[in-house]
Amino acid sequence: MSKVVEISPTTRHEGHSKLVLKVNDQGIIETGNWCSITPVRGVEKLAVGKTPEQVPKIASRVCGICPIAHNLAATEAMEASIKCEIPKDAKMLRHILQLANRLHSIALHDILILPDLYLPGTEIQINPFTAEEPVRTVAKRIQRLREIGQTIGQIAGGDCIHPRNTRVGGMYRNCSETAKIKMYDLAKEGLVLAKAQMDLMIAILRNYQARESVSVGGMKVALPKTLGYHNQGYLATHAFYGSSSLDECPSWDIDRFKEVRPWDWYMGEMEISLEEPKYPVGGTTKLGTKVNPQMEACTGIPMYDGQPVEVGPRARLVTYKHFDEKGTQGQNVAREMEYQDCFYEMIDCLDALNTTGKVVADYIPDGDGSLGWASNEAPRGTDVHIARVKDWKVQYYSMLVPTTWNFATCSAALKGAPWQLAEVIMRGYDPCVSCATHMIVVDEDNKLVAQKLIQ
Amino acid sequence: MLYPEIVVAGCGNPLFADDGFGPAVIDEMEKLSLPDNVLIVDAGLGGPHFIFTLLDPEVTKKLVIVDIADYGAEPGSITKLRVEDLPPGSYRDAHSWDLAEPLQRIKDRIEITVIGCQPARVTSPEFEIGLSDEVQKAIPKTIRVILETIGVDYGTTIKCIQEERQPGTAKTSCGSLKIS
Repeated sequence: MSKVVEISPTTRHEGHSKLVLKVNDQGIIETGNWCSITPVRGVEKLAVGKTPEQVPKIASRVCGICPIAHNLAATEAMEASIKCEIPKDAKMLRHILQLANRLHSIALHDILILPDLYLPGTEIQINPFTAEEPVRTVAKRIQRLREIGQTIGQIAGGDCIHPRNTRVGGMYRNCSETAKIKMYDLAKEGLVLAKAQMDLMIAILRNYQARESVSVGGMKVALPKTLGYHNQGYLATHAFYGSSSLDECPSWDIDRFKEVRPWDWYMGEMEISLEEPKYPVGGTTKLGTKVNPQMEACTGIPMYDGQPVEVGPRARLVTYKHFDEKGTQGQNVAREMEYQDCFYEMIDCLDALNTTGKVVADYIPDGDGSLGWASNEAPRGTDVHIARVKDWKVQYYSMLVPTTWNFATCSAALKGAPWQLAEVIMRGYDPCVSCATHMIVVDEDNKLVAQKLIQ
Repeated sequence: MLYPEIVVAGCGNPLFADDGFGPAVIDEMEKLSLPDNVLIVDAGLGGPHFIFTLLDPEVTKKLVIVDIADYGAEPGSITKLRVEDLPPGSYRDAHSWDLAEPLQRIKDRIEITVIGCQPARVTSPEFEIGLSDEVQKAIPKTIRVILETIGVDYGTTIKCIQEERQPGTAKTSCGSLKIS
């Protein structure tokens, strides 16, 4: 007979979410619901009536982790709506900024997943904060990679957290030749570190994959070879950066997108019938507690061609580089494979950057109310912003952030796994939950209409 | 190095009314010309993972955090807090990757001062842009306290701010200063 267990809140990712799992007598997940429990925010509503310059600044504040992706996607959605083509050197600076952000994010994710993994050849689960070798050296390398990413981002974007160099129509200023050389030097240093870090992480991930069982809170759990497998599709709009044109990027078509309500997708009211006090951290939800994912979920379910899809590093590698490994570790390996690509691409952008070139468009239109969109391949997946600007005022604005895409896909990937490994599967998506929360309502003709808050 | 000897981080979210105090102070400080060993940064919500876990105590010796703090005072009042004064979870990394808080890890090697302003209105989770009048008025005095804390004598600015004192009272126009 099925039992219900809940892990709430989930840990080692940004924001608040929970896992509600219906499991069989062997503890294998029959139905898994991963949902956001961060309250709904109304950023899209707030944007209406603001200028196109204000909205990217607002968008970058909805999340503590992804301000750069949101800033770039929002800025480019405005530019798409007003039909403004920015100069090549501005594109290069934005590209460098975005890659620097992705690099930092991969390094951060290494720290978040290491405690699930083992030192190869031992039964020791890795504590990234230990002062003991060999982990200490690895932790220092991760920190240096993060530092390199943030420093390059600071130079290209004007600030390493909330970039102040971006503007509708391009960038406020180009960088100096000295700054370009500094970014170059950092990228070359980072490339060597990234190669070493990628090799090590893939070895650790392969070692985990080869295990028969793993330990979770002192419980020995059999490790299935199909951990995290799902049969949903993938969505990526660019190998590295993003796009704002269907001609340029035929993989994202707004007409193929639809978002449905969580209560059409998640399980209804249930009572917790399985409790495990040993589960880290602090045990699972207590027996007898009522749960209701349908009503508690704070996000809609986006569909592409009528199905949830996966976004993120694996989706990019599957779409553009013929990567085909399924499962959670395939996803983690794909993320590691993006480490070096960040630097190679960054070096190409630096080669192409002319520091004396103009970085602001000659003409920035006020907008005629056309619908524009921009996708930005954020570290954790496709971040699509949609805008309508008329007479330099935003009439409509919406954000489809990466983790929103992944909620339903990850929920499908939970099926068949031991419930104790549900968080391992979830962390493979490197979720960022706080900004994943919004609600779009689609009318009967599949047209986007106003944002509505869930009551 | 990414972060120099002295770092001033404005924390908070301008989408939640007075929670935008820290970034607003940084915005104002951008107008000042500060020494090269000082970095002022709008940390937004990213302080714990973008800054506090990336500081190198060999390089960074002083960290000033500017934020709102509810300590039961008049809105707009400011106070200095030590890390020990902060309630648990104040600056825990959003990833909850580690139950130890990043500031606890570095406090013995980096001098940390938190300058907190009593908010009048924090609207989370509802969005509202703009500081209350009381908190807006606290910005000049906060900058003076920051400059004192980091040992920067910004003569003209400090004089200007001092002139904002209301005649005949010991109080400034933005409430009483409480230094713990």
